[in-house]
Amino acid sequence: MDHENDYVIEMLHITKEFPGIKANDDITLQLRRGEIHALLGENGAGKSTLMSVLFGLYQPEKGEIRKDGKPVKINNPNDATALHIGMVHQHFKLIEVFTVLDNIILGAEDTKLGFVQRKEARKKAEALSKRYGLAVDLDAKVEDITVGMQQRVEILKMLYRDNEVLIFDEPTAVLTPQEITELMQIMKGLAKEGKSILFISHKLNEIMEVSDRVSVLRKGRYIGTVNTGETTTVELSRMMVGHDVQLVVDKSPAQPKETVLKVTDLHVASRLYKHDAVKGVSFEVRKGEIVCIAGIDGNGQTELVFGISGLEKCTGGKIEINGVDITHAPIRKRSEAGISHIPEDRHKHGLVLDYTLEQNMVLQSFEEPRFQHLGFIRFGAVRKYAERLIEEYDVRSGQGPITVTRSMSGGNQQKAIVAREIDRDLPLMLAVQPTRGLDVGAIENIHKQIVAQRDAGKAVLLVSLELDEVMNLSDRILVMYEGEIVGELDPKKTTVEELGLYMAGAKRQQPKKEALA
Amino acid sequence: MKKESFLDKAGTRSVLASLVAILIGMLAGSVVILIVGLTNPSLGISGAWEGIRLVVGGLFATGRDTVGNLSFGFNPASFGNMLFRAVPLIMTGLSVALGNKAGLFNIGAPGQYLAGTAASLFVALSVPTSAVPAWLVWIMALLTGMMAGALWGSIPGMLKAYLNINEVLACIMTNWIAANAVTWIFDSSSLKNVLEGTKSGYIYKTSTVINDVIVDGVRTVAGTNIPEGAQVLSTRGGVATAKLGLDSLFTGSQVNAGILVAIVIAVVIYILLSKTTLGYQLKACGANRYAARYAGIRDKRNIVLTMALAGALSAAGGALYYLSGNTEFFWNTYQSLPAEGFNGIPVALLAINNPVGVIFSATFMSMLQICGQKLTELTAYNEYITNVIIAVIVYLSAFMLVIKTWIGKLRKGKAVEK
Repeated sequence: MDHENDYVIEMLHITKEFPGIKANDDITLQLRRGEIHALLGENGAGKSTLMSVLFGLYQPEKGEIRKDGKPVKINNPNDATALHIGMVHQHFKLIEVFTVLDNIILGAEDTKLGFVQRKEARKKAEALSKRYGLAVDLDAKVEDITVGMQQRVEILKMLYRDNEVLIFDEPTAVLTPQEITELMQIMKGLAKEGKSILFISHKLNEIMEVSDRVSVLRKGRYIGTVNTGETTTVELSRMMVGHDVQLVVDKSPAQPKETVLKVTDLHVASRLYKHDAVKGVSFEVRKGEIVCIAGIDGNGQTELVFGISGLEKCTGGKIEINGVDITHAPIRKRSEAGISHIPEDRHKHGLVLDYTLEQNMVLQSFEEPRFQHLGFIRFGAVRKYAERLIEEYDVRSGQGPITVTRSMSGGNQQKAIVAREIDRDLPLMLAVQPTRGLDVGAIENIHKQIVAQRDAGKAVLLVSLELDEVMNLSDRILVMYEGEIVGELDPKKTTVEELGLYMAGAKRQQPKKEALA
Repeated sequence: MKKESFLDKAGTRSVLASLVAILIGMLAGSVVILIVGLTNPSLGISGAWEGIRLVVGGLFATGRDTVGNLSFGFNPASFGNMLFRAVPLIMTGLSVALGNKAGLFNIGAPGQYLAGTAASLFVALSVPTSAVPAWLVWIMALLTGMMAGALWGSIPGMLKAYLNINEVLACIMTNWIAANAVTWIFDSSSLKNVLEGTKSGYIYKTSTVINDVIVDGVRTVAGTNIPEGAQVLSTRGGVATAKLGLDSLFTGSQVNAGILVAIVIAVVIYILLSKTTLGYQLKACGANRYAARYAGIRDKRNIVLTMALAGALSAAGGALYYLSGNTEFFWNTYQSLPAEGFNGIPVALLAINNPVGVIFSATFMSMLQICGQKLTELTAYNEYITNVIIAVIVYLSAFMLVIKTWIGKLRKGKAVEK
C-alpha cells in the first residue's frame, strides 16, 4: 500500500544545532492520520527540540516539514496553530486565576462588538468535553483543580481550536497512576475520532499500551521506527539507550545497623491549608537500608521531607540525626549534621539554573576550605572538582563545567544533583522522586548509585510516587496517607495491590489518631 | 576545536551592543535637534548643525573663535568636570548593579544618596577641625555617610526579607521619607549658610571655614575674617577631597581624587561579586532564592546585606560629591529627589550590571551632561531641550539588549553561510 497520502505530518531530514551540540541530526519522522505515534528517547536525545521545530519555536538548519504532503514553513507557534497542530506542554500553559472556560477560549475568542461570546464558547466546549470524555468543570478556576483536570483543559484547548495533530510532551510525568490510565483512554478515543497524536515519552509501559508505532531517537540521531505490536520493552530500551538495560534493580538484602535518622511524633504545617500536613509521624532509618515513603501525591510526603531538611518549620515533634536533635536547626546546621538531599523539584530547589554546572556542584560546599581561601573562591579547585564529578557520574553537557545548567537536559540536570549529593558523603540521604521524568538509562544509573550508597553504610530515605521504584528499590516501605503513616510493609512480602489499598486509605495497620483520643 | 572568534565572545558582544546603542541614541538625539532647529527661526539649519556637532563632540568644544564659528580641541575643564560628575553616577550605578545581581531592584538609590549626603555633611561641618585634622574629618564624614546609607538601604531590605514586602514599593517610600527627613533635619540645624547672604537655601560648602565665636558676649559664627575682640571657641569646616594634582592636569575643572576613590570601589565590588564566596551567595540568592535556601545559604541575611551594601554605595556617591569642597547642597529636598540616584538605573543597565562597566557608562552619562551644558551655553537651544535630548539618548541606549540579540543573530547567520 502506498502510504504517501496517509501521512498528515512529515518531518524530513531535520537538523538543528545549538552551541556545542547537534540536538537533531538528520531526523525523519512521519505521522500517519489517526495513529498514536510515540517518540521515544533518553533525556537529551532531541525529542523536545524536534517538537519545538514542528511547533515553530525553533527553525531547523536543514530539512523540510510537510503537512498533508505539501511542504510548509512554520516560523512561529501561530503558523503551527493555523496548520491545526496543537501541543500539550509538559509544564502547562494555563492562567491560574482564570476559569477553565476562559483558559480554553483564550486566544481564540469569538467576539461580537468586542464582547466575548461565552455562551457559544461554552456550548462548543461542553460538546467537545462530552464527545471525548474529558470531564472538566468549566467554571472552576484553574488554580483550584487537580493536575489531571488541568491536563484535560489543555487537551480541550487543542480540540477547541480544531487541531488535527496533537502533540503530548511527556504528559504522564505529572499524573497519578489513576490519571495516567484515564489519559490513555482519552488518547485512544481521540485517535479513534481521527486525530493524529504524537506522544513523547520515555515510559516504556505507557508506550506499549497506547501507541501504534514508535520512533526512537538517541543522542540527536534517528534510530528507527517500529510497530508497537511487533516489539518488546527490552528491544525498545535497547534502541533508546544503545545497550542492554536492566529493568529490575539488582541488589542484595539489606543489612541495617544503628539508627541514623529518628523522627518522633513529627508535625509539619501545610503550605496551603490551616491544618498540619504531617500529623504525628514516627519512624527510624538505619545505616545500610533504603526506607521508602510511598503514597499518592499530596499526602504529606513533600512536607515531611521539608520538615526533615529544614525547608519548612516543624510545628511539633522531634528529629534526631545520630542522636543530635536538629528539630529547630537551620538548614546549614542540618546539612552539617549529616543530611544530603536530592530535592523533589530540581528547578526550584536543586539548581541555580543560571549558574554554570561547576557553580552548582559546590552549591552547599563553596564555603569549605578546599573551595575558598579567606573568602576568595578557589576557581581551580572548583573546576577540578566539577570535572571529576562530571567524569564519575557521566553528566553530559554542551560545554562541560562551564555549561549553564539551564541549557542542559532534565536527565543530566538530575544526574548533576545526584552526583553532588552523593559526593558530599553524608550519613543520611533524602532522595525525593530521584528519577522523576528520567529515561530508563538514567533511572538505572541513579538506582544503582542509591543502592551503592546503601551498601556503603548510608541511610537512605526515599520518597517515590512510582510503584515500580517503591517495590524494586526499597528495603522497607512506609505508606503515608493524609499526613500519617498508615502501614509498614516489606516489599518482598507484599504486592502492588496491597500497597495500593494502603495508599488509597482503604487499609491501615495503626488505628487513626482521632479514634484514640 | 576551533578557538572562539573574538566577535563571538559574550563580553565583546555586550560591549559592542552598548556602543551601537549609544550610537543609535546619539543619532536619534541629533534628529530631535534637527527638528527643533528647523522649527525655530533663530536656529535654522546652521544652528541645528552646530547643535548636532555639540551633542556628539561637546566634550571637546572650546567655545567660539573670533569669526563666531564653533571651535573644538582638548578642553581640560570639560574633561575634568566630566570625571567629577561621573563620581556620584558611578556610585549609584554600582548600587543599582549590585542590587540587580542579587535579584533586587534598588530604586531606593536617591534616598540612600540623600541619607549619605546629609550624614557626611553633618560630620564634615560639625566636627571641629581645630581639634581633629581635616583629612581625618573627611574620612569620618565619608564613612558616616556610607553607614547612614547602609542603614537606610537595609530598611527596605529587612521589609523584603522578613515580611516579603516588595522592595520597589519600600524603596520608593523610603526615598520620600529621606527627602522630607533631610529637609527637616537641616531646617533646624546650624549648617545653613549664613556667611554668604545670598546662599540662604544652601548648606555650607564643606571647604568653608566656620569659626564659632563670641562677640560682645553673644555667640555667633564668623568666616575667615574674625571680628576684632571676638573670642574664637572652635573652628569647623575646611574639609575638602584631596586634588592629588588632578586639578593641574585638568585646569579650570572641579575634578578631585573622588574619581579615584570611585574607581577603586568599583573594582572592589567587581572582585566581591566575581571572586568571593560572598558574591557567589548574593548572586545565588538573586538567581534562585529557593535553591539558595535549600543549600543552606541564609537568603534573608543576604537580602538585607545586599540592600545595606547598595545603600552604602549610593551614600558614598552623595558623600563624595558634596565633600569635594566646591559643591553646595540645597537642603530643601522635600519636593525633589536627587537625579543622580535615579540615573544609577540607566548607568547600571548600560553597563549590564558589570561593576567595571559602570565606570564607563557613568562617565558617558556625565559626558552627555557636559555636552548638554555646552549646547545651552553656545547655542540658542535651551536647557530643557538639552534634557530631552539626553533623555532620548539614554532611553535608546537601553535598547542594548535588543541590539545584543541582533548582533548574535547576525553572527550566527554568517556562521551558517560558511
